[in-house]
Amino acid sequence: MGNKQTIFTLEQLDAYQDATFFTKKEILRLFYRYRDLAPQLVPLDYTKKPNVKLPYELIGSMPELKDNPFRQRIAEVFSEDGEGNMTLDDFLDMFSVMSEMAPRDLKAYYAFKIYDFNNDDYICKSDLEKTVNKLTRKELTPEEVCLVCNKVIDEADMDNDGKLSLEDFQHMIVRAPDFLSTFHIRI
Amino acid sequence: MAGKVVWGPEPTKQVWGSSLGRHSPSLFLQLPSNQTLRFRGNKAEAWGAALEGGIESSVVPQDCVVGEEEEEDQRPLKELPLCLEEKRRLRFLQEQAASRLSGWRLWRVEKQRTLRHLRSQAGTVMSYVVMWKSTLRHIEGHFGTGIQSYFNFLRFLVLMNFVASLLVVGFVIAPNAAFEALHLNWTGRPNNVSANASCVHYDPSAHGLVSYFSYIMDLLSGKGFMELTYLFYGYYQNSAVDFASFSYNVPLAYLLTAFFYLLFCLIWIVQRSVYCLKHSLVSEDASLGSYSNKVFAGWDFGLMQHSAVQLKHKSIRYELRMDLEEEALRRRLAERTTRQRATLYILRGLLNLLVLSLLGGGFFCIYLATSYSQWLLGSADSPVKGQYILELLVAYLPSIVITVANLLIPIIFGVIVQLEKYPLSFEIKITLLRNVFLRLASLVVLLISLWSQITCSGDPKDSNCKDCGYSHLFPCWETSVGQEMYKLLIFDLLIMLLVMLFVEFPRKILVTYLPSCPLLKLWGQQEFMVPSNVLDLVYGQTVCWTGALFCPLLPVLNTLKYIMIFYLKKLTLYANCRPAERTFRASSSNFFFLLVLLMGLTISCVPALYSMFVLPPSKSCGPFRGEPTMWNTVSNAISELPLTAQEFLEFVGSLAFAVPLFLLLSILMFYLMALAGSYSSMVKGLKGQLRLEGQDKLFLVKQISELSQ
Repeated sequence: MGNKQTIFTLEQLDAYQDATFFTKKEILRLFYRYRDLAPQLVPLDYTKKPNVKLPYELIGSMPELKDNPFRQRIAEVFSEDGEGNMTLDDFLDMFSVMSEMAPRDLKAYYAFKIYDFNNDDYICKSDLEKTVNKLTRKELTPEEVCLVCNKVIDEADMDNDGKLSLEDFQHMIVRAPDFLSTFHIRI
Repeated sequence: MAGKVVWGPEPTKQVWGSSLGRHSPSLFLQLPSNQTLRFRGNKAEAWGAALEGGIESSVVPQDCVVGEEEEEDQRPLKELPLCLEEKRRLRFLQEQAASRLSGWRLWRVEKQRTLRHLRSQAGTVMSYVVMWKSTLRHIEGHFGTGIQSYFNFLRFLVLMNFVASLLVVGFVIAPNAAFEALHLNWTGRPNNVSANASCVHYDPSAHGLVSYFSYIMDLLSGKGFMELTYLFYGYYQNSAVDFASFSYNVPLAYLLTAFFYLLFCLIWIVQRSVYCLKHSLVSEDASLGSYSNKVFAGWDFGLMQHSAVQLKHKSIRYELRMDLEEEALRRRLAERTTRQRATLYILRGLLNLLVLSLLGGGFFCIYLATSYSQWLLGSADSPVKGQYILELLVAYLPSIVITVANLLIPIIFGVIVQLEKYPLSFEIKITLLRNVFLRLASLVVLLISLWSQITCSGDPKDSNCKDCGYSHLFPCWETSVGQEMYKLLIFDLLIMLLVMLFVEFPRKILVTYLPSCPLLKLWGQQEFMVPSNVLDLVYGQTVCWTGALFCPLLPVLNTLKYIMIFYLKKLTLYANCRPAERTFRASSSNFFFLLVLLMGLTISCVPALYSMFVLPPSKSCGPFRGEPTMWNTVSNAISELPLTAQEFLEFVGSLAFAVPLFLLLSILMFYLMALAGSYSSMVKGLKGQLRLEGQDKLFLVKQISELSQ
């Protein structure tokens, strides 16, 4: 069934299948989605592991991501260079984590990285303010935003350092029943 | 490498975290707890600088050890938060390690891998088989998870009804049809109870000229040509059939099928609600609208349509604002004077009395309607016979009254609850509870009025009842009950169709083509109200369960009805509805839906069990004619089993077994409650300890930075 394709070696496909939550068919489908973003840049033969990176603008224009307020952060977190320019590996990794089969802890880890805008491994108040503003498109007043951020820190901060560490975040996600169903991109 | 620590002037606000975070990042990063943060990418980023040498080792964290000494099945590679390059390297290392294993260990690793592979294959296959999967995904993407939970629930009901109908058809209908087709011998059963001649007479078929209209009437009300068919209880024979080397006891099969149908539904619902409960993770301090849940799990990453995205922004804004307002309101409420509080409580008490009186009035109307309808149709010289439309109207009178009550009274509830000034979350809960009570209790009232008609209000000496043990106006009372349930089912579907055609579509057309009319703007476009729709479904399912004993084909009809409802609701959703502004929390409500369904099942079990054990079955029709109660068939069948089986079953059914079992279960329940209590207090203690540990950590880091200067 899958032996007719010449894009990947069998070894590569096996590796992808082990490392992501996708089947071989889905991996090939995702490869074609990736290629459709820039057919002239992406070769049809990945057996030699070409070093192809698609710029963030192309990734951000995908229909699954273009209306997402966090698309830039998602691309930055999953890209190798941290700027949002993704290789095929990053692309597959991103959709694998965001698929419905990924477990809660894995998603929580990446969600933490997405919401950590300044990359200091803590979600501090400024990160929270940016998150809330992105969620509401800056239509809440600054006082309301501040109140909401204070409430979030009150609820989730376990070790009382005024910001959320990964442990605080994961602990809070356990109590957020909607997380698994909302942190999910269908592709 | 250790980072220069600039300890500036003491900040006036003793905010430990922020001051320390600014000044000594590298110390925090060297703490063992930060090792759990996975390093991403090949480039050494900000925090990796301190651990350059440790990149190789940091990639292999504690819980993913590769080596000959680690034999347990590690977390699958795909669940590790590493980038693909690292996973490939890990995989290579794993394979190398595996190739060095030999014999038993190698075989075990291979087997585990094959098993995992098989499981994933099975999962893929199962996902293809799932019904309506693409439809549900589409709805989720466009309307959100709240509305999708309704359709998920509906799909579950369709599946449950389908499997149940397979059960019923397989054990009751198919054998009967086969026996009739093959003209097998029916071995008659001796009549145990001598019957009065007038009780045995039963002939529902119409005599003389039958006009065309009467067929339609019969189809809609289950009388006439429909009455003596597989649809109703009265058709089945009370004899066994001999074929091959064993005899198929039709009455026993009928009874046990009904019994196991209810049991099967109970088990499936309980299993599913436990699954939902685990997923919704009801913890002791999970409030309905916690801020962190809204901020971090509020954005639905799967939304693709632009309009849905806009709406999501709006609804998140709305919800956050509502929560803040409710918070402010709660603070204001706490400052109420005693006098204000007293007036509010009096007002609430009066309004609750009003609610109860409304409910009572509604129930009384239903009772009257049912009695009137049965009396009018049952008496031979009733004035409506011959006038088909009138007869149809009278036949459907109970259904009409129930539907009208269920349409009007919730509107009044909505107005009342505004006056009661409860906090928003409680308001939603109490409205839902009142509607649930209204729906299910109206069905109960219908059943009670039927019961009082059939058993002459429980008085066996009444003039109507003394001959046969039940009212002689109902020669085949089980069929009458079955007909009533059948009518309710049909009417439910009819009303849904009519409301869709005459209310929802016109509303959408009017709002689209006359946007300037102020009245229409006030009314607005249709919103898909999940709770009321779910209550409709639960009501329909309860009707089906209640009538299953008396009308064996009801599960089959219900399956078809629900399939139709799925497509109709999908049509109305896409054509007429705009997504709700207040998103409906799917996760916690899934469990609530199942709870209400379970309530419905409990209510519908009561008439079935009561008829099985207490009421005398009709003497003129059905598989239990001649028996004193329906359960007698089972006792007779048991008496034909071998002696040890009989004694065992008798013991199980006796008090000597039931009482100790009950005591044991109570003790177990108390133990589990105590265990849960102790766990929650342990969790509280641990939380406090965690807080203290955090403070300790900050203090120590501060000391170290001070000392290292």
